[in-house]
Amino acid sequence: MSHVKKFVARNAVPILFAIVCLLGVYYAKMPGQFLFMEIVKRMARNSFLVLSLIIPVVAGMGLNFGIVLGALAGQIALILSTHWEWAGIGGLALTALLATPMAVVFGMLAGTVLNKAKGREMITSMVMGFFANGIYQFVFLFLVGTVIPFENEALRISTSPGLRNTVNLSRIRGALDNIWTIQYGFTKIPIVTFLIIALLAIAIWAFFKTKLGQDFRAVGQDRHIAGVAGIQTDRNRVLAIVFSTVLAAWGQIIFLQNIGTLNTYNSHEQVGTFAIAALLIGGASVTRATIGQALMGTFLFHLLFVVSPSAGQAIFGSAQVGEYFRVFVAYGIIAISLALHAWRSKSLVKASMEEDVSA
Amino acid sequence: MKRKLSLVLVLVLVFGIIGVTQAAELPFKIGIVTGTVSQGEEEYQAALKMVARYPGSIEHVTYPDNFMQEQETVIGQILQFAMDPQIKAIVVCQAVPGTTAAFNTIREMRDDMVLIMGLPHEDPDMIAGVADFAMESDQERRGGNIVQIAHQMGAKKILHYSFPRHMSMELLAVRYNNMKEEAARLGIELIDVTAPDPMGDAGIPGTQQFILEDIPRQAALHGKDIAFFGTNCAMMEPAISASLDAGIIFPEQCCPSPFHGYPGALGIEISEDRKGDVDYIIEQIGLKVAERGNSGRMATWVAPINMVFVEAGVELAIQNIQNGLDLSDQAAVEKAVFDATGIKLSLNRYKDGANFYLVIADSVIF
Repeated sequence: MSHVKKFVARNAVPILFAIVCLLGVYYAKMPGQFLFMEIVKRMARNSFLVLSLIIPVVAGMGLNFGIVLGALAGQIALILSTHWEWAGIGGLALTALLATPMAVVFGMLAGTVLNKAKGREMITSMVMGFFANGIYQFVFLFLVGTVIPFENEALRISTSPGLRNTVNLSRIRGALDNIWTIQYGFTKIPIVTFLIIALLAIAIWAFFKTKLGQDFRAVGQDRHIAGVAGIQTDRNRVLAIVFSTVLAAWGQIIFLQNIGTLNTYNSHEQVGTFAIAALLIGGASVTRATIGQALMGTFLFHLLFVVSPSAGQAIFGSAQVGEYFRVFVAYGIIAISLALHAWRSKSLVKASMEEDVSA
Repeated sequence: MKRKLSLVLVLVLVFGIIGVTQAAELPFKIGIVTGTVSQGEEEYQAALKMVARYPGSIEHVTYPDNFMQEQETVIGQILQFAMDPQIKAIVVCQAVPGTTAAFNTIREMRDDMVLIMGLPHEDPDMIAGVADFAMESDQERRGGNIVQIAHQMGAKKILHYSFPRHMSMELLAVRYNNMKEEAARLGIELIDVTAPDPMGDAGIPGTQQFILEDIPRQAALHGKDIAFFGTNCAMMEPAISASLDAGIIFPEQCCPSPFHGYPGALGIEISEDRKGDVDYIIEQIGLKVAERGNSGRMATWVAPINMVFVEAGVELAIQNIQNGLDLSDQAAVEKAVFDATGIKLSLNRYKDGANFYLVIADSVIF
């Protein structure tokens, strides 16, 4: 197998996605300024969330759709911090602190459930996300104002129990992003946010150099052998999910401080799917994910989402056909990516078998 | 050959003149953001109408069909208008979640932009502080109105179809409460029915199927003198068709309009030249409802309110930019809307100090 062929086979998904993105950029004919601004914003919002997926993948638990639980912890903390009128970067840090114990508890519960469903972690974590959403709605639409006393005109629906469907996060809007920005044309580049993302990337890299990180890797490669070697596999798996959930909670807080409004009942819904799509597009798989893939994937995924509406409109000359085309291309490509993963892992298995035979 | 050529020339001239008289030039541009027709045909058609009225001066884009999940795309679509210095106003209808975030960002970039929302989904207190002008059907007054119209058409009970996500919207919750109060006053029973959320796991088809199956069930249980009211647009077409089949009462849609649900449910063909023709469609609905023997038990508003929002939004923006129309002057706004659309709206300010108006129009019973 030549080097080129190997490279393409290994990176088929990102290459395909990059080509579609380039075509999109060409047809969309967007002002470069706008493109740059949107990409910077979306990278700042989403990178942290996508990075939170890496640890469970390495620990052999697949893609953690359960980061929705982390996002919920972040949102609960944000609702409380809005109620107590915390403001600025101090308020944001306190919010993150408040979210952490909740995320730890959620993560431990999720990890325990996933240990009972070994080999089916992904679908279990996805359904767990739906389940948690149900409880969240029950608490904030029904219990708040009936069982849980919560008097706040800005947050409560005036005539019945439950929270309003939007929470105004104006007190912490941009608290992190605006600490230190570099203006480039229209774009304000949030340096501190990117520094935190870089810090997380380094921390994840360093973590896998530690004893615990190596244990995670061993559990991910073969649970049985790791167990025989004296590693507490179940405990490590729970820990991996706890880490992921806590990071997701912080990631959601970073995301929402950038947006500035919280959709009480919806902001968390897309978190799992979109972060996972981004990670896969970066070339990661269910068993292997790196920091580079996460960042590359976030970039490509959001580039396509930025250019595709205008590209669709430019190609078809109709706003609405453009939208249908965008959905078709964006989600179609994600489906192809998944199919390519299957094809790639098959061909890799075949290649290694051939090597075994020849050896 | 000469004759053909002269005919072509005449045609070119005639169409040229018609084109000139219908189309107007604006010295600036306006951006319109609507949904696609799968979410609601009215806003989309109204936007096309505006593009035809002011060719070259209107930029029309759509927000994603699953706007709840792709909020970042909603924000991006609105935000891109701010990059074009020629664009001086943005009209978003329906103003789905993300609009406030986008408007906040635009305010930081540009101070010369007129920002208008039609049918905001986000919390009214929050959007009141962000938009220059916002319009929404008067849900508070509608609560009482719907019950009265249903009562007038002979309803003994009213079914209220909704789901938790909608009931967490302040105005919809208030409307529901007002319905309850008015129903109690008139001695009508209000029955809650929880339908699947169309943004949930079963999607729009799940909701529609539930409506189709549940209405006959309710009619068998409570008799024919019950009225249907649902809070979601996707429910309307199946609800109208099932209400007709079951012979129950249908006072109005979630977003009242002769175009919403009726043409699809009744199989009314609207030819290209009849698109947007309100009188024609009202006449056709009356005929079809009579054919099915449910006359006097189906109704809606005289005006397609979402179309009025888009059209009024654009015209008010133009008036504001060109003639300095004061958007906080309620009487002037009412007059400007009537001049532009020919529809008399009754406005009601949501709260002092904000140009957020709640509107109501008259009903027509078929």
